[in-house]
Amino acid sequence: MSTGKKKVLVIDDEPAVVTYLETLLSDNGYETTSAENGRVGFEIVKRDRPDLVCLDITMPEESGIRFYRQLKEDPALAATPVVVVTAVTGFGGDPEPFRKFLSTRKHVPPPEGFLAKPIDQQEFLETVARVLARAGAPALPG
Amino acid sequence: MTSAVARMTSEPVKQWVRTQLWDQVPIAISVIDHDFQIVEANRCFAEAYGPWQSQPCYAVYKGRTERCERCAAASTFADAKVRVREERGVLRDGKEIHYLVHMVPLVEPDGSIPCIIEMSTDITATKILEQEKLEAERLAAVGQTVAGLAHGIKNVLMGLEGGVYIVRSGMQRGDSERLLRGWHMVEENITRISVFVKEFLDFAKGRAPTVALVDPNRVAATVMELFVETAGMARIDLRAELAPDLAPAYLDEDAIHTCLANLVSNALDACQVSDRNGGHVVLATREEGDTLVFEVTDDGIGMDSEIRKKVFTNFFTTKGSEKGTGLGLLTTRKIVQQHGGRVAFQSTEGVGSVFRLEFPRDRLPRRDGASGNGSNGDVGR
Repeated sequence: MSTGKKKVLVIDDEPAVVTYLETLLSDNGYETTSAENGRVGFEIVKRDRPDLVCLDITMPEESGIRFYRQLKEDPALAATPVVVVTAVTGFGGDPEPFRKFLSTRKHVPPPEGFLAKPIDQQEFLETVARVLARAGAPALPG
Repeated sequence: MTSAVARMTSEPVKQWVRTQLWDQVPIAISVIDHDFQIVEANRCFAEAYGPWQSQPCYAVYKGRTERCERCAAASTFADAKVRVREERGVLRDGKEIHYLVHMVPLVEPDGSIPCIIEMSTDITATKILEQEKLEAERLAAVGQTVAGLAHGIKNVLMGLEGGVYIVRSGMQRGDSERLLRGWHMVEENITRISVFVKEFLDFAKGRAPTVALVDPNRVAATVMELFVETAGMARIDLRAELAPDLAPAYLDEDAIHTCLANLVSNALDACQVSDRNGGHVVLATREEGDTLVFEVTDDGIGMDSEIRKKVFTNFFTTKGSEKGTGLGLLTTRKIVQQHGGRVAFQSTEGVGSVFRLEFPRDRLPRRDGASGNGSNGDVGR
């Protein structure tokens, strides 16, 4: 049964980051689930069809990059918006180098949102709200 | 046969060529008798080491007053085997020299060995380059490490901020369970920063090993003591197989302790994440030829080819960011290389891993604390 809330999947191998983002999101009216790596995250996306994914990049087992490519190359799932939340040095919070990094290997569209760790709470919530509004994703019907 | 060839192959000319070769070859050659006295030497030797007549080899090569420990010449007299060694000596002008020496027995028809020939090539320039390369690699690794450290700190910082957010919202709501959860996050992340900084400093330190004559088995035994309780709690059979009568070696005891503790800790972790219950870890010491070997074997989860390739990569860890910093094996390799040794490993996914620290005794650092000779590669097999 749907609660009418937008569903956000948080993928990060840091339990503290997951707890933080899930708490922050649920305090602000979102429903949350989480995964500790891209492989588990992809299974959840296929099963639960979240409205948005918050994605870390550096994770053991399967990185956020692989997850992102897999998601955006799957016609059934590609519309799921992604906000990258990463500590990867070099991208410096700017989505442009990240987009370039992705397109040098195989073309995939840039992520809908990009934030550098540690996040600014306000900016994080605004980005999530903006990306969801743009995606126009309705809450799953009950 | 032309007259020129005939002349060149005539006995007097051949003798002349041999004399020329003896004196012109850029290799210091000396002949040593049973009393370690130099009985003959070529010009290159005299130019490098100075007067040699009626003097023992250890005095001329190294400026010593007594025979060297683990004298290779004595071994060659005993078993007639050719030996090749890297040594350090002192030139006639007082400068230090690194040389590669071949010791070849002169064997009589009756099998006796009246003398051996020592042929020494100056490899000082190569050694300096080797040490510079090692230092450059260390500095490059420190640079990468700083970048990795920044990455790790960002995650810890985010954990701290998350903890603070949850503490604050817990206070605002009067929710003590939430407050405690947040406080726990703050505490955990402070501990992580401490661990991170300590391991980073251990790795970044460029100090040469402080060596002393150490019983390798004693170092292994103290590492066993450190882990026996942890292993017992995890129902892992941790055993030591220490070779008896292992000769002492010039080692930095604390540094080698760190290496062995890293390997045993990794082995216990590998057993704990394996599908099987319990597991076995063996810490062994042994002498293989002239090489001191420490070996840690486990029948834990093992590594696939992808993980094997990344074993010595900065900040690479399979333990999750909660447990591993990805610096342990890198630090181990640095310490082993400083001792002139190398790290080798074999691993099979689902079967287990063997990590070996190999220290050729003739490459170990000397008593004065100077660093080892090694930039031996590390080998994954």
